[in-house]
Amino acid sequence: MTDARSYISNRGNVLAIVLVTLVVAYIGWKITESPDQALQFAFNGMSVGAVYALVALGFTIVYSTVWFFDMYYGAAAALGAYGVFYLRSSETLGGLYEVNNPVVNGVFSLIVVGVAFWALHTALYYRLRTRFSDRALRIGFGVSALIAGAYVDVVLTRPEELHVTLIPAVLAVTATVVFLAGRYAYANLISSREPMVFNVILVVIGVALGAFSAFLIADSPGSKLYLSWAVSCFLAGTVSLALYRGLYVFMRERARSPLVMLVATLGILLAFSALIVIVFEPTPRPLPEPFGGSAHEIAGANIKTLNLFTIGVAVAGFLGLLWLLKKTTFGRTVRAIGDDEEVAKVVGINTTVIIATVFFIGAVFAALGGLLSGHDTAIQPRMGLLLLLKGWIASVVGGIGNLQGAILGGFLLGMLEQFGIWDLAGEWRDVVSFVVLILFLSFWPAGILPRK
Amino acid sequence: MNGNATTASPSLFERGMLMLREKGDLELYANVFVIGWAVIFTLWQGVGFAVTLGTVFCIWAILSVSLNLVVGYTGLLSVGHIGFFGIGAYGMAILTSDTSYELLRTESIPQFGLPFFAALPICVLAAGVAAVVVGVVFNRFRDDIYVLVSFGFAIIAFNVFLSWRALTRGAYGIPDVQRPQIGSWVADGEIEFLALCVVFLLIVVGISWFLVSSSFGRVLKAIREDEQVAQVFGYQTTYYKLAIWVISAMMAGLAGGLLGSFTTFVDPNSFILLESMLLVSIVILGGLASIRGSLLGALAFVLLEEGMRFITYLPSEFIGQVRQVVLGVMLVLLMLFRPQGLAGRYKL
Repeated sequence: MTDARSYISNRGNVLAIVLVTLVVAYIGWKITESPDQALQFAFNGMSVGAVYALVALGFTIVYSTVWFFDMYYGAAAALGAYGVFYLRSSETLGGLYEVNNPVVNGVFSLIVVGVAFWALHTALYYRLRTRFSDRALRIGFGVSALIAGAYVDVVLTRPEELHVTLIPAVLAVTATVVFLAGRYAYANLISSREPMVFNVILVVIGVALGAFSAFLIADSPGSKLYLSWAVSCFLAGTVSLALYRGLYVFMRERARSPLVMLVATLGILLAFSALIVIVFEPTPRPLPEPFGGSAHEIAGANIKTLNLFTIGVAVAGFLGLLWLLKKTTFGRTVRAIGDDEEVAKVVGINTTVIIATVFFIGAVFAALGGLLSGHDTAIQPRMGLLLLLKGWIASVVGGIGNLQGAILGGFLLGMLEQFGIWDLAGEWRDVVSFVVLILFLSFWPAGILPRK
Repeated sequence: MNGNATTASPSLFERGMLMLREKGDLELYANVFVIGWAVIFTLWQGVGFAVTLGTVFCIWAILSVSLNLVVGYTGLLSVGHIGFFGIGAYGMAILTSDTSYELLRTESIPQFGLPFFAALPICVLAAGVAAVVVGVVFNRFRDDIYVLVSFGFAIIAFNVFLSWRALTRGAYGIPDVQRPQIGSWVADGEIEFLALCVVFLLIVVGISWFLVSSSFGRVLKAIREDEQVAQVFGYQTTYYKLAIWVISAMMAGLAGGLLGSFTTFVDPNSFILLESMLLVSIVILGGLASIRGSLLGALAFVLLEEGMRFITYLPSEFIGQVRQVVLGVMLVLLMLFRPQGLAGRYKL
């Protein structure tokens, strides 16, 4: 606390208090002036803030692990939104604009092949190498990875049958989730060593539930939009993982400062945003309305179901990440790497695998933020950079490297932005958020909730 | 030449890496390649085209040299330089704006009707004043946060250009910006304008070279290497950083004024954040802390765009994007193998 205080001279303190009072007074005056409109602005702020919170959460988990700034993150947000557009383009523009492109499908499939091979190799090599020869293992992993890539290619080339092509994936994911959740519950509630029978029962239940959900999905073509969310989040995460494993690992060995990484990832962002323009043209595009475009009226103000959903996703994502970081072994290793990577290596943590997973999770959050904001407004190639900057600002405002700070900062930034443009026009919102950033950096450089 | 090659006989890859990292050879090759390309290009496309290209090059060169003073010599990675460029261009457009377009105007803006050579110093001063305000705020930040707030400056500047319609006509842009003229002589021809730009480029390069080789430049380098040590030796680093920031911004304002007069049309889309990121990549590509490198980077940047126009199977609307991809990939490769850039003296 004294450390944080020493940043600020006494005069700075007084200024900060005056500033906060002014802002609170302004908002209070606005609320008393027209409470209905204030509520509407608050809802808008919450909706925008939820997107910022999602982006900031993913940013925080990556940044607080590797301590360099990954600009690809902005491209991940754009990829998430454009992935949905790619898979649902016929629906959005009434079949006038089909973007299905064999080159794009092939590139993504190749990336999936690489990532799948690496994942299989890291997961299974040391368990199986006593039983099989190296060559047999490599061929086995290679063939499985190729099958995975071919599957992704099939899914991407047939966006109209998404609810059919994704049946195996839904089955597998549901079964795995049920299995892991059951084991986690058993280990925490009953005993740390579960009997074999329990595992068998879990597998049976998992497969049954998986088959049931796959059946449900195959029966409802309306679920294609929600399935496309999953696919595009998965792809954005996979690209992030591939970038980390294929590039950042080597770059981090050579880099003298975090700025080198920042500039290199800036290059990646430049390349990705240009590729998005090449594939999708620079015009802003709409995404289809999820949830039938329905809206709710609460106390005289309107809020779309989508926005409520976004807020829910942000809160759920925050709780999920918190649980993951604080309660699981994975989370403990992530925190250990964030504290000191060298020591984590020394005590036997496979840092590459853990950080690669973190990059995957972070990019999934970015993609979620991107696609949900894309549904709310529209998508355009430069949205990625703007979302990235907003997420960055939100996490600085909340306290950099701190999950609670990220979600608080995201919602606060959204609210301040909306109340800030009340008397100005809407196009000044970016200016408002950067002014907020500069004020925070000047008066509370450590953010609202500093990382301990 | 390469003692290692004979004794330890490293692989071709290792020798390549050695050359990339240690030798100045690459710098020479890059110089020869880019300048040779420019000469071939001129011979191929004729002088008229080369004159236009040369003017664009001069403007980008002024920009990248000025940014190199901040990024390369002082170590402040600013991504917001396009804001000062825009202030210069808009200053030129507003100050010299002509009433002949009055009928076309949907939103009228103040009319000053100043001549080019009176407006240019005002543009430079306006960029300088803006830089003082911005610099005082930015001086306390470092590293990542500096990058973030400089992004912020670029976005704020863009939004002002776009949304302050009473001054900038917003998205309509300001047409009919004046060409330079003295008395009855008007620099309407491309050659005259190129000559003017070359003169300004030489002035900027001269000032930059003088700055970085003086004791002032040595203090800047000391700040870049370790700011606290510079403070221990009694230098008020804040003032040095502010001074170089303002000088650099004034140069960018000059480049902006030239651009406004060159294209005779100014609109916000020339000053988006992306352009600023491209500018940073030019500076890093050419070489940090090297004025020659910045010139090289700007030349390569201009040639890259124009050169790709003659790849016939590339649709013309993708040229800018392909150039952006090339720059991005080069940035990644440079950061991997040669973090000082092609001709650089300072590793990021």
